[in-house]
Amino acid sequence: MTAVWYYVFTLVFFLFDYFILAMGLNIQYGETGILNFAYFAFVAVGAYVTGAVSLPNSVGTGQHYIFGWGIPFPFNLLMGGIATSLLAVVLAFITLRRLRTDYLAMVLISSSLILYDICNNFVPLFNGADGLYNVPPPFASVLKLTTNSFIPFFAAVTGVIALIMWFVMSRITRSPLGRTFRAIRDDDTVAAALGKNVFRGQLKSMIIGSFYAGIGGGLIIQFSGSLNPTAWLPGETFVVFAVIIVGGVGNNVGLLVGSLLVETLLVHLTAFLPAIPGHPGLIEYIDAMLIGVFLMVMLWFRPQGVWPERPRLSATMVRLLGKRGPSVDEARVEADVSDAALNDGSRG
Amino acid sequence: MSDVTPTDPTSEPTIATTSTTTSALRCEGLTKAFQGVHAVNGATFDVPQGQITALIGPNGAGKTTVVNILSGSMKCDSGTEYLGEDEVTNMESFEIARLGLMRTFQLSRELGGLTVLENLLVAPKLQPGESLFNVFFRPGTVRRAEQVNVERALEILGTYGLYAVRDDRARELSGGQKKLLEIARAVMASPRILLLDEPMAGVNPALIERIGGYILALKAQGVTVLMVEHNLNVVEKICDHVIVLAEGRTLATGRLSELRANKEVVRAYLGEVIDARPPS
Ligand SMILES: Nc1ncnc2c1ncn2[C@@H]1O[C@H](COP(=O)(O)OP(=O)(O)OP(=O)(O)O)[C@@H](O)[C@H]1O
Ligand SMILES: [Mg+2]
Repeated sequence: MTAVWYYVFTLVFFLFDYFILAMGLNIQYGETGILNFAYFAFVAVGAYVTGAVSLPNSVGTGQHYIFGWGIPFPFNLLMGGIATSLLAVVLAFITLRRLRTDYLAMVLISSSLILYDICNNFVPLFNGADGLYNVPPPFASVLKLTTNSFIPFFAAVTGVIALIMWFVMSRITRSPLGRTFRAIRDDDTVAAALGKNVFRGQLKSMIIGSFYAGIGGGLIIQFSGSLNPTAWLPGETFVVFAVIIVGGVGNNVGLLVGSLLVETLLVHLTAFLPAIPGHPGLIEYIDAMLIGVFLMVMLWFRPQGVWPERPRLSATMVRLLGKRGPSVDEARVEADVSDAALNDGSRG
Repeated sequence: MSDVTPTDPTSEPTIATTSTTTSALRCEGLTKAFQGVHAVNGATFDVPQGQITALIGPNGAGKTTVVNILSGSMKCDSGTEYLGEDEVTNMESFEIARLGLMRTFQLSRELGGLTVLENLLVAPKLQPGESLFNVFFRPGTVRRAEQVNVERALEILGTYGLYAVRDDRARELSGGQKKLLEIARAVMASPRILLLDEPMAGVNPALIERIGGYILALKAQGVTVLMVEHNLNVVEKICDHVIVLAEGRTLATGRLSELRANKEVVRAYLGEVIDARPPS
């Protein structure tokens, strides 16, 4: 396999993986309105737990980490997802109960810095600044995959997982639960006045989204075999935010488009730019700047994203539910509403 | 406008109410201060079961704050609130809502990103489809509940003249339509008690008439209504009972005709209104 194909499948992997990550952040931010600036810390925890439970006992490996149970794929991935959800519960009880959106965002960003410091400095946990490495690639020995054939194989596995997770997420967002999330997003006071337990709703959304973060993170460490703290500096969270803002907040299909534009094209294809002599790290910074500029252009010209959230129409609802609506006298009702009388009311 | 000398709450000039019905909602000595501003300062009143009660008073009298406290949107500093027999003081907003008390907002607060229909569909309490387990493992139950809710919501939208805009995003409605949506959404939750904060503010006379009709229809269905209202013609027409609030305390309660005879009430609030617009 040529280097180009090798690279193409790497891009495909990240396309699907960031689609999963974007779905997780989207249910928290896009659907429920929780500005989770700690999102990539959740991704990292998912990755570390997935890696640490699948690695063998740490004695004699030259690394230090907890777990080390040799758990095979995909069970290690599930454990990563569940561990991340548990972290979400803890953080939600600390932060969501008391804090309003803006303060919540600040506390979450500091929480992610604290998690970062812990992982970076407390070696016995996930090997400190060196991070985990030599995480066994799933199925590689069973299927006798070489380093080259593993990459397209795992990109395909990730695609299948992304498809399943997209199906599950669509079910959630289209359900009454998803509607309650959006009510909380639009106005939590109104949601509460309508009998919705706002904290429970936000908690559910945090748990679901964090599970997606954990799975997406687990897939990253399975794909690359390693992860160290520099890979999840808080700035990474903004790449996922960029994916959902570009794709269209609140729309699951749009997130795939966002992932393609931001993660695949902007973040990874810029690696093809020729290195600038004398400035080895410059491309990375250009990356960040490009994302920033792209985001500003999008917010200016198409703030709703490439593929925005589309509301469910009543006709679709009635059709899917398998019943015709009540016999409302439409003609009369429409006359009522277009009544000029209605339209000179104040805009509350 | 109100130069009433602050009176001891116990010595309020309360006019005996003619109604002997039980109260659906009752509050005693509610207080609430915002950085030293005593917005509510001992409000005490009963809202009789199955009737329409008006809450009137000058701007800044604390009417909205009282509604916020009663509905749990705000916590009071002291005082007690009873829903029927049960004390609900400072309970969470969603708990009070689940007990059957719904409120609307003086400045319409629509769920802007949702369609008009979805705004209503949010309202029914404890829907099976709000549980993750049910969504995946009891799709039939979720679907049947949804069927019932969609039908009922479309019916209510028909009644309130919002059927044609059912698929529009709520933020795109006109001011008058938003006022209607506020009420329709609360009605969708099948309330026992409805607190309406100026449901007719800023709408034209034709719509005022219609909203008045809706409120009377709700009363006929057995809903207890407490409405904040400045328009005394409306109060005269549809309200059975009036509570006058001034400077955060209950100044008087009774029928509007009785209150017109009350010097203190007239001085605090009714005076110029009556002079300007004699009752029809
Ligand atoms: N959230 C708040 N923070 C600070 N002060 C407030 C707040 N809400 C109300 N107030 C103050 O409390 C007092 C009562 O306000 P409130 O809105 O309850 O009056 P109102 O009777 O509803 O008036 P209006 O008829 O104009 O709607 C006012 O002086 C107002 O400035
Ligand atoms: Mg008010």
